[in-house]
Amino acid sequence: MHRKHLKYWGDIALAVLVFGGAAVLLIGAAELPPPRFEPLGSAAVPRGLAAILIVLGLWVAVRAVLGMRADAPVASPEGTASHPLRSLGVLAALIAYVAALDLGQLPFLPMTALFLAASGTILSGGGWRPALVYGALGLALAGALSFIFSNFLYIEIG
Amino acid sequence: MLDAFAALMDWHNLVLLLVGTGLGIVIGAIPGLTASMLIALTLPLTFHMDPVNAVTLLIGEYVGGISGGLITAILLRMPGTPASIVTTFDGYPMAQSNRAERALALGIMASVVGGIISWGFLAGMSPALARFALKFGPWEYFTLVLMALVMLAVLAQGSLVKGLLAAALGMAFALPGIDSSIGQARLTFGSSAMLSGFGLLPVLIGAFAISQVLRDAAQPISNKKIEIPKRRLPVHLSDARTHGPNMVRSSLIGTWIGLLPGIGGNIAALVSYSTAKQLSKEPDRFGTGHEPGVVAGESANNAAIGGALIPLITMGIPGSVTEAILIGALTIHNLQPGPLLFQNAPEIAYGIIAAYLLANLFMLIMMWGAVRYIAQLVRLPRAGLLSVILVFCVVGSYAVNSSFVDVWVMIAFGVIGLGLEAARVPLGPFVIGFVLSPIAEEQLRASLMLSDGNALEIFQRPYALLFLALAVLTVAWPAILQRIARRRRVST
Repeated sequence: MHRKHLKYWGDIALAVLVFGGAAVLLIGAAELPPPRFEPLGSAAVPRGLAAILIVLGLWVAVRAVLGMRADAPVASPEGTASHPLRSLGVLAALIAYVAALDLGQLPFLPMTALFLAASGTILSGGGWRPALVYGALGLALAGALSFIFSNFLYIEIG
Repeated sequence: MLDAFAALMDWHNLVLLLVGTGLGIVIGAIPGLTASMLIALTLPLTFHMDPVNAVTLLIGEYVGGISGGLITAILLRMPGTPASIVTTFDGYPMAQSNRAERALALGIMASVVGGIISWGFLAGMSPALARFALKFGPWEYFTLVLMALVMLAVLAQGSLVKGLLAAALGMAFALPGIDSSIGQARLTFGSSAMLSGFGLLPVLIGAFAISQVLRDAAQPISNKKIEIPKRRLPVHLSDARTHGPNMVRSSLIGTWIGLLPGIGGNIAALVSYSTAKQLSKEPDRFGTGHEPGVVAGESANNAAIGGALIPLITMGIPGSVTEAILIGALTIHNLQPGPLLFQNAPEIAYGIIAAYLLANLFMLIMMWGAVRYIAQLVRLPRAGLLSVILVFCVVGSYAVNSSFVDVWVMIAFGVIGLGLEAARVPLGPFVIGFVLSPIAEEQLRASLMLSDGNALEIFQRPYALLFLALAVLTVAWPAILQRIARRRRVST
């Protein structure tokens, strides 16, 4: 795969995912009963949207294939991530944080402090100092949020 | 009306209005926390209040909540409320080009002008306007929603096909859950968690906030500093001439659309933005940090509040979730919104109208005074700011239903949003498609039921035909322009 064709391959991948989504809509619509009380029924809109998605997906795919055949060079996408691992790290920390609160039933205050320490450290490039600073910030933030939500909005977090 | 203003001058009401507006601004500025959520959560606090005090507090929260959304929309491209999505189109590029304060100042001014103009309609012309909007049937609503969706897809930066694809994908994600027309579970594939579908708030926070934070996390830290005003706001007298017509037009559009049940401030902002772009001599500059883009969106979304209050107090019809909660607030106090409200409880009917005007003025004072501090948000260390935003997103999504399912949905849509942007599929039409899909389907099905399945009845509905024609014209317009340009080239 040439790097200059990356955009076209991205479009083809998008079209494949769109076809997959359309297939899910069609499968789900097939399980629905026919209309009884009104002319349209529950399945009509999913089927219509699936058809629209297939047409638009085909359009995107055909344009991508034609573009590749024409061998048109494409500039690399704007705003290309310079540190994609940081994004992945923050996403992993976020998932771990929510999993700890939801699945682990762990308390909100220390988990938020740990999350802020982890996320802040990843985003600032590492080191103990940011971990401590953001950990303390997390503890203060969690305390304030917990107080406001439980005392004024009647919501217990976690 | 004068009595209502006099009653509002009571220090108790003034304090409540001030607190409500301030709280609304703060909550509205936080992605994931919306005016409707704040009002719903404050509702239990108003149980023991005097009805006028309760209404005053809630109206302040409503106005502040919608207005506060512009802050993070401009500074961080994270709309605090759905009504501020359009503000991100030009507000964020302005902030990125060292014009954050200008964008904030214009946004605040536009919000206040929108609020005051719509107050004029609310106070003076509400019965007549409400009567006219009531002529609309399901066909008109369906075609209006269709027109808005098409406009947004065309408005989106980049390919028209990808804009339409984004809208269709957004609509598809709104389908799972209980089909409200007949109570049938649809596309749930046997999962009980899917019966309530994907919540708007988790989807919105995920697609806009989480994906933005993850994208920003990958960017190298910029040393570029944003200039923050020291003494005065960058607003000039000449702005009245430059932006005045746009503000008035957008406020009128916002008031009109706000009047229509179920449409809301986000569509009002969208239609105003689209109109401003189409009437502009420089349409290509929209989406790149063009001032009229911020003005159009913010005038309209605030004006939509006044518009939405018209059917609420004159007919008891909620225009959106927030108005539905306000109806609940009145019902708690044994008050029935509708025409009789003016006879049975004029202090409430006129109190709402008076509180709406004062809340707009309080919002102006508070946001005007705090804009320098608000602008300093961008000076905060990015690592801390992004991490804190993530915590707010988690807490905001959780607070909607006190459920972690919504938090997982939010994360999933964050990843989807990141993927869509990587494939250059715009997120605006995706989210608006998600919001509008249930309304469009409901109105289409109601139309067909009323016409015994005869879709041709649309040709007997002039307003529906007009909206449909505008939708078709919006899609065809780029091709028509291309054809005209080609013919001109050939002839020369």
